[in-house]
Amino acid sequence: MRLLTHNMLSSNIRGVVNGFPLGIEAEKVVEREVELSAEFLRGVFPKIEWGALVAGARALGHPDLLPGEADASMLASDDFLRRFHRALLQLHVEEGALVCPETGRRFPINKGIPNMLLHEDEV
Amino acid sequence: MLLNFASRFRSSRGVREIDSYSSSSSLQLSTFILLRRTICTIRMPTPDLNLSTNNSTNSNDEASCEDDVRAPSVQSTPDIEKNYVHRVYDAIAPHFSSTRFAKWPKVAEFLSSLKPGSVILDAGCGNGKYLGLNPDCFYIGCDISPPLIEICARRGHEVMVADAVNLPYRENFGDAAISIAVLHHLSTETRRRKAVEELIRVVRKGGLVLITVWAVEQEDESLLAKWTPLFNKYDDEWVDSSISLLRNQSNIKLESIPETAEDSGASKQVENRVKDVQENPDDKIVASPSVPSADNGCSITQQEYFVPWHLPFHRAEIGGASASALENGLAKKDDKKGAIVYNRYYHVFAEGELQRLVSGVENTAIVDQFYDKSNWCIVLEKI
Repeated sequence: MRLLTHNMLSSNIRGVVNGFPLGIEAEKVVEREVELSAEFLRGVFPKIEWGALVAGARALGHPDLLPGEADASMLASDDFLRRFHRALLQLHVEEGALVCPETGRRFPINKGIPNMLLHEDEV
Repeated sequence: MLLNFASRFRSSRGVREIDSYSSSSSLQLSTFILLRRTICTIRMPTPDLNLSTNNSTNSNDEASCEDDVRAPSVQSTPDIEKNYVHRVYDAIAPHFSSTRFAKWPKVAEFLSSLKPGSVILDAGCGNGKYLGLNPDCFYIGCDISPPLIEICARRGHEVMVADAVNLPYRENFGDAAISIAVLHHLSTETRRRKAVEELIRVVRKGGLVLITVWAVEQEDESLLAKWTPLFNKYDDEWVDSSISLLRNQSNIKLESIPETAEDSGASKQVENRVKDVQENPDDKIVASPSVPSADNGCSITQQEYFVPWHLPFHRAEIGGASASALENGLAKKDDKKGAIVYNRYYHVFAEGELQRLVSGVENTAIVDQFYDKSNWCIVLEKI
């Protein structure tokens, strides 16, 4: 699971008011290089909840990768784009869990795949 | 330079695409079975459905509904989907995936038309056939079947296990969403509409959604003969049978009407069918397609079906999903074809039905609708 995906995921357990962002318990993280596309990064930037991305990078063992805050003007910087790209697309949680911020319920991640299915009593 | 996430991980397969229902299944019953309910004597929650009248004769031995018995939510999976969609796809995943590689031009067209850099959400992505199709976009797929998702993940796609009726996504994130041959596996209109609402919810304003579903109006009508029509749905909506019938099977009275009484083989079959139904009363009752329909002058469009999937023996892992499916009666061995036959539940859509379904969804405009290769298709915009 990449942090781009994590930035979209939200706990949908019945009764939860704000299930975003999910906490991350990262047991195994791998980095896989993929080609950087400035066009893509500029296009996707407005969607990103920056605080969640920063927290995610920290949870994955890269607390200094990203600036605490960001705005669109920083997209002109190659250095910023590289950091943004690495955090968003190159880091993968292979094993671990996502944690509902309100209930603490853990959604397991195995082989890079989160299982977000709810139990019968959670829908 | 543009993105090319998945393409380098995608394996190309030289297998000819196999029509999933090209081999016929011989489901010729020489007897018919009618299911008739007695007055309901079980405790059931009474949501919007008008079921309370059934409970009215039942007083002394049943207390009123316990407080903790809620009406099943629309996001609760009905048994027919658990047994005839989820478990089937889990069991047939690798075989299914090997037959699913041809890209449907209309879907490819839609995906290619999206702006580079788009985030595309595929809800019910199956084996991930369409993930990464437009290499300039980023795809996130989900499916309810873990084995199918594992196939996607091995190909390098960004995927998760999730339910299309309850997407674990915050709203307005996607630029587009696709639902290819998914909604016809949902067994109630409410769930189908909820799935559409979810697709609209998760895309941004102005985002597009493509939905395709199997049509009643099949181009090859001979295929329909290989499907098993399902009858006797209790109400318009499924009642969650996990809290009702499975615990009170004596409520179900069965009448068997042998067509050929002198055929002892047939009556044996009746016995087995009766037993089968009593153990699985939540199954819809199947009847031979040649049952004469009630002569009331109006024709009811048959939309509920079991569509067979033939899993060759060498593809079925013995001691695994298929072995238990055979034990539970969810699959049957066809020695002649050397395959285990699974049934998949389908609610096929009639002309205009997709539009009607969508008309109940807020913030939605229809931008295109068409029929293509036995599928009804619709493109929506979130407004």
